[in-house]
Amino acid sequence: MIPVKAIALAAALALPTLAAAQDAKDAVEARHGFMKMLGINMGQLAGMAKGEIAYDEAAATLAAANIVALTQYDAPALFVEGTSSEDMPESEALPAIWENPDDFRASFVALREAAAGSPDAVKGGQGNLGPVLQKLGGACKNCHDDYRKDD
Amino acid sequence: MAGGAAHRERIWDPALRVFHWTLAVLVIANWLLGKIGPSDMTLHFWLGYGVIALLVFRLVWGFVGPATARFTRFVRGPRAVVSYAREMIHPHPTYWPGHSPVGALAVVAMLGVLALQVTTGLFADPDDYINVGPLASTVSSETSRMALRWHNRGADLILILVLLHWAVILFYRLWKREDLVRPMIDGWKWVRRR
Ligand code: HEC
Ligand code: HEM
Ligand code: HEM
Repeated sequence: MIPVKAIALAAALALPTLAAAQDAKDAVEARHGFMKMLGINMGQLAGMAKGEIAYDEAAATLAAANIVALTQYDAPALFVEGTSSEDMPESEALPAIWENPDDFRASFVALREAAAGSPDAVKGGQGNLGPVLQKLGGACKNCHDDYRKDD
Repeated sequence: MAGGAAHRERIWDPALRVFHWTLAVLVIANWLLGKIGPSDMTLHFWLGYGVIALLVFRLVWGFVGPATARFTRFVRGPRAVVSYAREMIHPHPTYWPGHSPVGALAVVAMLGVLALQVTTGLFADPDDYINVGPLASTVSSETSRMALRWHNRGADLILILVLLHWAVILFYRLWKREDLVRPMIDGWKWVRRR
């Protein structure tokens, strides 16, 4: 017979793990959503730069302002322990993130800095989009190269 | 294995030689651009298109070019491959008039992997909105993600094949005392008909 106390203890011990598992899933979903929001706004700018979407100054400014707003969010905090690509199949976050937390954070700050001033920089015509996109896209690429699994 | 004495013969035509050295330069440059190039990959794309043009040329040349360039002539069955591989380990030149049956495997592997590399490149999407493969928008995002994955793995495969290519050429030079590089430059090679 297993004493009731032991069951209660086991349950009490299991609860935080369950909660942690849910937290981990939430964190991964949240950062996927975060990246997708970045992507949607980048897509707006890229579409206009390529001429697939007609250039619209207000829309371009808004997309850039959205990116600025997103980079104010503390996204690196969504990369909680135990959510690397080795821990969860749905994660593409390389373990390198947790090995170099400072550099990972710096890569995110680099995006924030690339975004600074972009709502104004995209004004004035389609031709102004290119340089802004290169700066922003370069910051996405640098971080993905080092910290996103793609092999 | 008999045959007369070795004599010099022009086995690689000029177009094939230009093809080879242009391919070597473009592939090395593009590999390095991919790994350590600037985050604006425009040049990588253009050199990649150059490689596509070269591969198309090589495919056509493999059917209509001179004898030594033709796939049907140098791609041989397993018997010929095994028999050549046995001969190949001996420390003397083979004076083979063209790609040997073993070399043919490397040629096909290199051209095949390069074809795969340019194809996956066209469909790859690294989610940075600046270096998106020109055909990525024609497929689903899962497919373009998979293309990127295979483009990255392809880069490793190319590295392995090219290092093997160089190692075997060195093996011929040092162990077998046969210079394969010179013929790829001026077209003339010591050969023995058999
Ligand atoms: C500080 C690093 C960093 C920066 C900067 C960054 N990303 Fe990411 N991104 C990641 C990581 C890590 C992942 C993988 C996350 C995961 O699978 O848990 C990712 C994943 C993504 C995904 C896939 C999301 C999904 O649903 O699987 C998209 C799209 C994306 N990023 C777009 C962008 C864009 C666009 C930018 C630039 C505006 C950007 N990222 C900047 C680190 C970064
Ligand atoms: C990335 C670099 C390179 C690639 C992708 C490459 C690819 C190839 C290919 C596809 C062929 C077959 C030629 C054909 O029939 O179309 C070939 C042959 C050859 N390559 Fe390269 N090559 C590279 C670099 C080099 C270098 C640097 C050398 C010199 C050291 C070299 C020497 C040769 C030689 C000698 C042959 C002829 C082999 C034979 O006699 O059968 N290659 N190479
Ligand atoms: C022989 C031809 C090519 C070679 C050797 C080559 C090699 C490479 C290498 C080494 C990388 C970096 C992979 C890594 O991060 O480890 C790369 C990335 C890439 N290449 Fe190529 N490539 C070739 C052709 C092409 C072509 C034709 C295109 C498209 C037109 C293309 C598009 C891309 C893209 C989109 C990336 C992803 C960049 C990123 O992940 O940020 N490549 N390539």
